[in-house]
Amino acid sequence: MSVAVPALPRHRPLTRWTALGVVGALFALLTLAAIGFGSTWIPLEAVANVLLGGGERTERLVVLNLRMPRVAAAAIAGGAIAFAGYLLQRITRNELASPGVLGVVDGAAFGVVLFMAVFSNEANALTVPVAWQPLAAAIGALVAITVVFVLSGRQASSAIRLLLFGIAVAAVCKALTTIFMLVGPIYQASQAARWLAGAVNAINWGEIQIMALCLVPTLLFAGALARNLPPADLDDVSAQGIGLNVPVYRILVFTAAALLTAIAVSFVGGVGFIGLIAPHLARLLVGRARLAGILMAMLLGAMMLMGADLIVRVAFTPLEVPAGTVTAIVGAPYFLFLLMRKDQANG
Amino acid sequence: MAFVSAAPRSTVELRLSPAVVFLLLAVALALAMLGSLTLGYRLYGLDQVWMAFFAHDGSETATVIAGLRLPRALIAPLAGAGLGMAGAVVQTLSRNRIASPDTLGLNGGAALAVVVASIVFGVQSLTGLSLAAALGALVTSLVVFGIAAGAGGLSPLKIVLVGVTFASLTHAIVEVILTSNEAQLQQLLFWLSGAFVDRPISHFFTGLPVVAVGAGLALVLARPLDALQADDSTARGLGVPLGLVRAAAFLAVALLTGAAVAMAGPVAFVGLVVPHAARRLVGLRHALLLPASGLAGALYATLADIAARFVIYPVEAPVGAITAVVGAAVLLILLRKRAA
Repeated sequence: MSVAVPALPRHRPLTRWTALGVVGALFALLTLAAIGFGSTWIPLEAVANVLLGGGERTERLVVLNLRMPRVAAAAIAGGAIAFAGYLLQRITRNELASPGVLGVVDGAAFGVVLFMAVFSNEANALTVPVAWQPLAAAIGALVAITVVFVLSGRQASSAIRLLLFGIAVAAVCKALTTIFMLVGPIYQASQAARWLAGAVNAINWGEIQIMALCLVPTLLFAGALARNLPPADLDDVSAQGIGLNVPVYRILVFTAAALLTAIAVSFVGGVGFIGLIAPHLARLLVGRARLAGILMAMLLGAMMLMGADLIVRVAFTPLEVPAGTVTAIVGAPYFLFLLMRKDQANG
Repeated sequence: MAFVSAAPRSTVELRLSPAVVFLLLAVALALAMLGSLTLGYRLYGLDQVWMAFFAHDGSETATVIAGLRLPRALIAPLAGAGLGMAGAVVQTLSRNRIASPDTLGLNGGAALAVVVASIVFGVQSLTGLSLAAALGALVTSLVVFGIAAGAGGLSPLKIVLVGVTFASLTHAIVEVILTSNEAQLQQLLFWLSGAFVDRPISHFFTGLPVVAVGAGLALVLARPLDALQADDSTARGLGVPLGLVRAAAFLAVALLTGAAVAMAGPVAFVGLVVPHAARRLVGLRHALLLPASGLAGALYATLADIAARFVIYPVEAPVGAITAVVGAAVLLILLRKRAA
């Protein structure tokens, strides 16, 4: 099936970097606001002051120990998932591809839940360091995406079929996750239920350090691969003709996307639709340019998860509604819109 | 769990006479229901079951069998029958063998309607909830098929993508509503994946007429549905009033799905798997296919319900998780077959 690529306006480098600058500034503002909002409102200048090393003692405590971890985790994870989505959409040349629909998110989630179920003792404490958790997520994600591609086989080039295989594999993982959550202690089940829907509320600096440490090499790996991404409007044969898009390269890109998603999911849970929308919006804003596209997608992904977390904090406090529900409620209609528009484009 | 998936997976083309098929299905269902009464966390003998029904002595055993085991032994087959028949009708309506109340988002819509009705509008009675669920399923089918029609007729695969996306949307909304009402997460998780456990017997008696009306309506439509399996112009040539039949069939699907979801929550993929098994057994004619889907759905749901008690023994798994694993595997097989 040919995938219609909508005609994009040509973006001159200047406007591209201007757009990036504007979104970057918005990102900074949102970060300050996300830290400022909470049970007590901390004014933006006070937040900025604390971040620059000043501020009162209580303000420092609230900002640095309570608010910052949550915001930082949302930003890092949102950015990583958006990058993964960018890679998947470019390598499959399909704007509907994303870590969620290819089974990567649910595979990673199953990996983590299995890890929790296997390596926890009667007192609900992990018997191995939590640092191993991303590894479990990565294995789950890689297994899931491998199964999707092995099963779809030659049909992998058909975008819609690939997605349906992804959805079916995701459904298997989700059901297994539910079963294993119930096997575990009740405490773990309620913890895991929130986390599965995507929640950043319980994270601490230690976990963020692990997440960042895992992400740095993965980002470098993914970034190096991204330099060779084929142009978005190239078909398979031409891409192979100019020496791009060979099977090994494809596998490496899928691996990088799965790893990025897995690391994020293992800490903030199954946040849906960010990997779909962020790269898409980035393309609308900066066109097909690679570096600007990746940076823009990551900024937008970070803002989306931070924003979703901010919404659930402001609207539902003291209840802990998972941030993933917000991204799903916004993302699902957007996906439907894409589906319909694509169909019309195909006639 | 192997016995649960045996029927849909078999590749041998069985061609027994329909009477024999129905007899075998009925016997198997009766045995499964008996199993549902006797098997579980505690095993009971047939004599104890007999005692609980006909010589209730007030003992704990009798109370457990009559009060806990009996409701699920009745509700599981009723919900399964509803979902199985709904699946058969919806697959014909959309001429799409991977359509089902789940893949089209109808289960999700029904679940959302149940949650909204009970939490926002305070509806308590199961009749009210069943009707709300049916309404939710109906609205969802209108939306999903409306989107498909609006986009100029989507391919079967894309309709399913629309349905699945719609399902994730309704799921997220349900989750927000339930968490903000501080529902117990464990219970929430259980209900969202569908379960037959801990349902009062009154659920069965309220669900029964709704399923019966839906099933009756579907059976009345058996001949027009046969004609619908061909393309629209053929059906019209055979004198089938297309609009009327489609509307009535959607109503039947909504009633069957709605009753099942109101009784048990969204039990996944029963409506996807069962019609395929039924078609292998009795062929394509709806006069046979619909009752066979009903019986097979009842059998499948009952067996899955028994399996749910043992897969993570001594804890009980939500039956929807079991049917989801099996159903998603079947979906993968169907997707691969379509390509071959």
